[in-house]
Amino acid sequence: MTLTDRQQLSYIASQAADARLNVELETEGMTLNIGPQHPATHGTLRIIARLDGEQVVWAEPVAGYMHRGYEKLTEVRTFPQVTSLVNRIDWLGSFANEVPFILAAEKLMEVEAPPRAQVIRTILFELSRIANVSLFLGDLGVQMGAITPVFLAFRDREYILNLIEGATGGRFHPNFDRIGGLKDDLPKGWIQETKGAVKKLEEFCDTIDDLLFGNEIFQSRMRGIGVIPADIAKDYGLSGANARASGIDWDLRRDQDLPLSYDLADWKVWTHPDGDSWARCWIRLQETRESCKIVGQLLDQIPAGPVMTKVPRIIKVPEGEAWVATENPLGEMGYYVVSKGDLGPFRVKIRSASFNNISIVPWALKGVYVPDIITILASLYFILGDIDR
Amino acid sequence: MAQLSDDTQTPQGDTAPAALPGDGLREGIVDTLRNDIGEALIDTLLKPNDDLWVRVSAESWLATGQALKAAGFTYFCFLSAIDWMPSPFGNSQDDPDDEPKKIDMTIKQGYTGGETRMQVFARLTDIDRHVGLTIKADVADDNQVVDSWSQLFAGANWHERECHEMFGIGFNNHPDLRNMYLPGDFEGYPLKKDFPLLARMVKPWPGIVDVEPMPDFEEAADAPAAEAPASAIEGAES
Amino acid sequence: MGLVDKGRLPAPLTKLFNLSRSYSLWVYQWGLACCAIEMGAAFGSPRYDVMRLGVIPLPASPRQADFVCVSGTVTDKMAPAVKRLWEQMPEPKYAISMGSCANCGGPYWDSYSVTKGVDQIIPIDVYVPGCPPRPEALLEGIVLLQQRIKNEDMAAKWRGDEFTTLQRTRAMEAGEVDRDGELISDTHSISDEPMAEIASAHPEPIVVGGGPIE
Repeated sequence: MTLTDRQQLSYIASQAADARLNVELETEGMTLNIGPQHPATHGTLRIIARLDGEQVVWAEPVAGYMHRGYEKLTEVRTFPQVTSLVNRIDWLGSFANEVPFILAAEKLMEVEAPPRAQVIRTILFELSRIANVSLFLGDLGVQMGAITPVFLAFRDREYILNLIEGATGGRFHPNFDRIGGLKDDLPKGWIQETKGAVKKLEEFCDTIDDLLFGNEIFQSRMRGIGVIPADIAKDYGLSGANARASGIDWDLRRDQDLPLSYDLADWKVWTHPDGDSWARCWIRLQETRESCKIVGQLLDQIPAGPVMTKVPRIIKVPEGEAWVATENPLGEMGYYVVSKGDLGPFRVKIRSASFNNISIVPWALKGVYVPDIITILASLYFILGDIDR
Repeated sequence: MAQLSDDTQTPQGDTAPAALPGDGLREGIVDTLRNDIGEALIDTLLKPNDDLWVRVSAESWLATGQALKAAGFTYFCFLSAIDWMPSPFGNSQDDPDDEPKKIDMTIKQGYTGGETRMQVFARLTDIDRHVGLTIKADVADDNQVVDSWSQLFAGANWHERECHEMFGIGFNNHPDLRNMYLPGDFEGYPLKKDFPLLARMVKPWPGIVDVEPMPDFEEAADAPAAEAPASAIEGAES
Repeated sequence: MGLVDKGRLPAPLTKLFNLSRSYSLWVYQWGLACCAIEMGAAFGSPRYDVMRLGVIPLPASPRQADFVCVSGTVTDKMAPAVKRLWEQMPEPKYAISMGSCANCGGPYWDSYSVTKGVDQIIPIDVYVPGCPPRPEALLEGIVLLQQRIKNEDMAAKWRGDEFTTLQRTRAMEAGEVDRDGELISDTHSISDEPMAEIASAHPEPIVVGGGPIE
């Protein structure tokens, strides 16, 4: 295998770093506190790192600054009220949070949404993924000192937010999903507009590909940094793009049987063998493209019919337990719903993706250099509401 | 030094549709587990084409995790607990002027039964066979401690910390059971059913004004589908 | 400026100062939850572009900021940090509370870990309701704040006629007034007359969209 120049350079740099490690140097320990409010963290995560010179000896994330007590609050709310609450867990892709909960409730009630509702759900799900990951791609530049990508992301994300607002009435937190279907049908002209917006987002992906992923500084700060092997990733329960970047071929959109319309579209699950920061970001870029592809194909396949099935006026979910997980923008998001036949759930365990994804941080940050802390955290991609709930 | 993948070699994606698990596979999993832990497997429940639940004794909690990990369930999904006691405060959505409803305080466990108020439960997934299962275990009422999985699945560390903070369940051999979410001076275990939400006690639920007599369950089910959706759910949630 | 200290400032000079103050506001963005993204859209996106209003986002530290925009859920664990950064800001300082959570607790009004309103810890000048508010609503809140700054009498503030934010904070800490600026009744030393005066001098918080928040 012939190495390119860049790879050789990167190899030499890492060898030099190893060599430096082996020399006994007199360094003084220091504790570095990042956060809880810091521009480089998405939200209020606090990292305490013990440094030896430039190297992290030990790092510990301190969560809980955004703990709002979701699991307790669901117990004093009715099933339809819970959806407006869970919207706010992962606030960048709100609609995606509702879907698994509604599917779990539908499973217990043994109802299924009509085909039209299923396809529209899938489209909105993918749109919220695009809205979420596009901001990640923009924000990635900020973590390395490049300001431009985030402006591009905010500009192009507005197209998607407008579409979500047009269909659901909510720009950020749609609360559109209902047990048994959707609140409303699509507005007139929405499909045509979505096709245009998806094209714009595909162009955005190409721009980011050139601007960031083609940038040598970006590559040298990402490649070979923060490598997570597949078995460690499984041990910590990493999911979503973080797991696929470590070579785990696991995507809940494809690998389980849910009443969502992913099988109608022709798309691909990307994996990457490296498991480094670059792979995680690259997978997310490819996934945004795949999402655009899925939305584009599904828009032509929306069947006619109602968007709501027959459900009782007052929703009482029969006794039982159900687990439904979907592939959310951040990874595997699941709800374990226990119902006692009451108006509200008895217990809801929310398995959020970021909680597991960020629990690997003490492992992943061991031995890295200080500037890499931020890039590794950025590439692991978390949202505080999703960690703390 | 990590090996860098060559630029010329495009990273691969899998397009082949994967076979979804059948009930036969799930039965096989139960048989394997019974071979491994024997009598400790107390109860199982297999919902056809849906999911699998097993209940094991608290003593064999760690052994079950080890057996399942050896059987291919290497992906750790979550670990948590359930307090099966009904809430002594009801659902906090009743009008305080009404006569308080009598709350039935009998503890009734869910799938695969149980004998104690608290149960720990966890979920593991086999990524290669695309199958997952939920494992439950009773936690003794007088000694709420089970073995820790943190040596087995590294991800269980944080989940056990969360579970300890929310339910007060202890985990043997856990490296570090510090509070994760709440400030240090917080008292009580929030997810226990007898933990009151003070804001709800002080101020009655604002949604009470919207609760009005609704038609019966059967009546609504017979109503035409056209009028069911919009009004039905909006009424219940406002 | 010695004139300001002595409480004698010519009106045209006051106007000039206020004009320049209101159009070079450094905003310290305290983004906590969902609202932080909408605040980011208002501050960082080309569509809303807050800089055209003379507001400069992203200062290096709260010590350089003129007002703080608290956007998102404040939890009990976070509250001490919010207070500490507010105290680091130099006077004159203003605060905007963005979103239902920061206003009153929002959807988490019954939660065990959420502070029911950031106005319990810092005094708020403008409330922006919504969950989350649109970026336009935040921009309107900023415009309303600028109007208040333009009409402020700096010298009077210095003389102590007006209940400034710093004084209010200190009085709250000393337990003399509650968070609405109302005097707590058991302080006997103050007679009825100045009490009424202080209560009337304290500026009412602005609510975007009008009307009181419930």
